[in-house]
Amino acid sequence: MRGVTKRYGTLAALSDVTFSIEQGEAVGYLGPNGSGKTTTLKLFSGLTRPDGGEVRVAGHDIRSARKMALSKIGVLVETPGILPYVSGMDLLNHVAEVKGVPLNERPSAVNGAASSLGVKDQLGRPLGSLSTGLLRRILLAAAMVGDPAILLLDEPTLGLDPAARADLRVTLRGLHEKGTTIFLTTHLIEDVEEVCGRVLFLRDGRIAGDEAVSPVGSHEGTGRAIIVKTVDPVDLAAATGLIGNTATAERRSERELVIRFPGGDAAQSDILRSLVTGGVRVVGVAPLGPDLAARYMTTVGREEAV
Amino acid sequence: MTSTALLANIRWEVIRLIRSRRVFLLSIPLVAGPAGSAIAFLYFHVQYEATAMLLGLIVTGGLSTLVMLDLTALTVGEELSRRAHFTFFTLPQERWAMLAGRIVVALGASIAVFALGAGLVSVLASALVPATGGTITINSAHMVEGIAVMLVFLGAVTLTASIITRSASEALVAGILSAVVTVAVAGYFLLQGTLTMLFPAVLGAAAVAAFVWSFVSYSALES
Repeated sequence: MRGVTKRYGTLAALSDVTFSIEQGEAVGYLGPNGSGKTTTLKLFSGLTRPDGGEVRVAGHDIRSARKMALSKIGVLVETPGILPYVSGMDLLNHVAEVKGVPLNERPSAVNGAASSLGVKDQLGRPLGSLSTGLLRRILLAAAMVGDPAILLLDEPTLGLDPAARADLRVTLRGLHEKGTTIFLTTHLIEDVEEVCGRVLFLRDGRIAGDEAVSPVGSHEGTGRAIIVKTVDPVDLAAATGLIGNTATAERRSERELVIRFPGGDAAQSDILRSLVTGGVRVVGVAPLGPDLAARYMTTVGREEAV
Repeated sequence: MTSTALLANIRWEVIRLIRSRRVFLLSIPLVAGPAGSAIAFLYFHVQYEATAMLLGLIVTGGLSTLVMLDLTALTVGEELSRRAHFTFFTLPQERWAMLAGRIVVALGASIAVFALGAGLVSVLASALVPATGGTITINSAHMVEGIAVMLVFLGAVTLTASIITRSASEALVAGILSAVVTVAVAGYFLLQGTLTMLFPAVLGAAAVAAFVWSFVSYSALES
């Protein structure tokens, strides 16, 4: 997207927005209501046209090569309507047919997409009879039919219960690991933290920030940072002596330590064992998040932060 | 690829008709048209076959028109008013193929059931009103053609209205009003003795213009 401007009457939804997403990236798009998130997604999916600038998807201009561009993407718009009497199977089959999935491969394409979101058993029901969460997952499955190279998702976890939300994040992470490019607009910072490697902040129709997102619990991409909760007040000097030279410890509160160390599960296990055998009574361990919420507040402002 | 999209959308519209049970509306011109006509032949003691044919075609054509208006208004207006087009507009297909697939089913099915109903009316008119003769106001074959053209014209008007208003109900009202005006104008010309093939020709030309506008506008429609 280069120099894109979009106006609705006198209101500028997007002003000279420029950014690009590399193949295989998972990018979060954070901003308050009315900041232009959905407009951006509609521009990428050909639902609306820019007043100025250029929008390209997988190298294809969305205006001059719309069909080619759309053949690369799966889209879930925030609040698409439904035809309540058609079933999920009808919808997914139609999507597969239009996307050019061969007839003999359609059942596996449809069932595969539905299974990955846990809605295979619900495909026979009319869409109007489904709960919000189930409906959203079926619409997401429709976006995923045909294994598109790029997924454009507008608030994909909206209306899902916590378990379904967690499942969806795992599914999206899996897709990302398989090489699917993901562009995710959301209000939920956790969605970005758990799925994306990069975040764009949008404010008043302009890009206000473009940052890498470290995976939850990681530290500068080379190790981890964890919070260790203890029964007794923290003795920082003793703890530092126990965890070895490669790790660092700092006091977070009276009964909480932040320990940063290189390595993964094995190193974490060794450090915790050292603390316990050294007499530190550990009651809990939590990953130290990248504190994206604080960055959001700094970059975008208070409104709509979740 | 375009033919694939067209066929996919024809199939989709057929699925919509079946799942929404609107497909049963298509039985009305087929059953109620001829049956109602037969009752009218007998009740009014219609003397001539030609008169019976005109009466039957008016009944069957009227019912076909109402069914066609409903199906056409819903085929596009329902998706737009419910914002279901967000899903379909982001699929890799030409929008004209999408619209054509839908309208071919709605309009084609309505005209087909009118034609079948007219055929049944013809059979019933021959069977129940055997006398020939009398003054032929309109040739029944011309009337069949005229009603078919009127169905296409009203379908085009309703389609245009559904794109402008993005609403099935408002498109349906526009279609009904157009039907009333069209029939009134046709009746006026008939009473004046000036009803010629020019009238359906003008309706046909207007339908073509409305279809062209609809396809162009639908292709450029923004969310």
